[in-house]
Amino acid sequence: MTSSPVLPRTPEQTVQAFLDAFGRHDVEAALAAAGPQVSVTVHPLGIGGTGADTLRKVLADLVRAFPDLLISVSRIVTTGDVVTALVKTEGTQSADYAGAINQEKHLDIDQAWRFVISNGLITDVTAYWCQAQLYRRLAVKRYDEIAIA
Amino acid sequence: MTTLNGIPRTTAGSAAGVVSEFFDRYRAHDVEAMTGLCSVNADFSYVPVELWGKQRVLRGDGKVRTVGKPLWTGLIASFPDLSLTVHTITSNDDGDVVAQVDIEGTQQRPWGLVAPAGRHYREPHLFIFHVGADLLIDSITAYWNDAGISQQLGHNEVD
Repeated sequence: MTSSPVLPRTPEQTVQAFLDAFGRHDVEAALAAAGPQVSVTVHPLGIGGTGADTLRKVLADLVRAFPDLLISVSRIVTTGDVVTALVKTEGTQSADYAGAINQEKHLDIDQAWRFVISNGLITDVTAYWCQAQLYRRLAVKRYDEIAIA
Repeated sequence: MTTLNGIPRTTAGSAAGVVSEFFDRYRAHDVEAMTGLCSVNADFSYVPVELWGKQRVLRGDGKVRTVGKPLWTGLIASFPDLSLTVHTITSNDDGDVVAQVDIEGTQQRPWGLVAPAGRHYREPHLFIFHVGADLLIDSITAYWNDAGISQQLGHNEVD
């Protein structure tokens, strides 16, 4: 019996593997597409750091707060080693998220995730979305009183 | 311009060059020149632009000439020192261009629901362009965190 050689993934395949796993709520499988020193920037959450734990928290918080989380990819743009995914994230809030208390509101928000790929692994991920749109849907009224319904 | 059998062909380099020029013109506050780099029917989508009313929701979607141009003009009027810093531009031979850009300015006039208080904002943006074979931009999409801008300007109401 011979084993099949593991073919190197293209940057787009790496990102697709990440998004597929995240869409299945399989955070650990998503993290397997990222390098151990992945740089993580999530502008709307004020997150900037490195390492799998930083990315794990970003993904796990979403899955925990929105157990029916649905990730729909509308477009993937590959520009060299950079892959940009335009996605819609939907779900029903079931736990506090980003300071917003759970009022069982439905979230639907357009996001852009920009990935840098090296040797088949994500080495840099930067996420863009509008936190005003997110808070609007979760019935938050003020940025300085996010936890007050 | 690169050609293939005499037909103009976009390359990653030429597409990135068009977008770089677009941001130079933006930095110069030359909205007419920015628009001049876009095709007549260029699509436009500023995803965070969303104003909820009692009976309707207004969004920043449409065409460069009918939605984008007024937004650029209004932004520059409200932030007369508006500037931008391009951090990265990546592109491909299909004419897709992705740019990470910080936009900043000091508010002098109302902007949306935000009253002017002379405050400064700086916010990261991600732009996704498509540049056609005629080396004109035919699609612009942008993402940023509008809550970040509101808070920096001292406006703490979500709506």
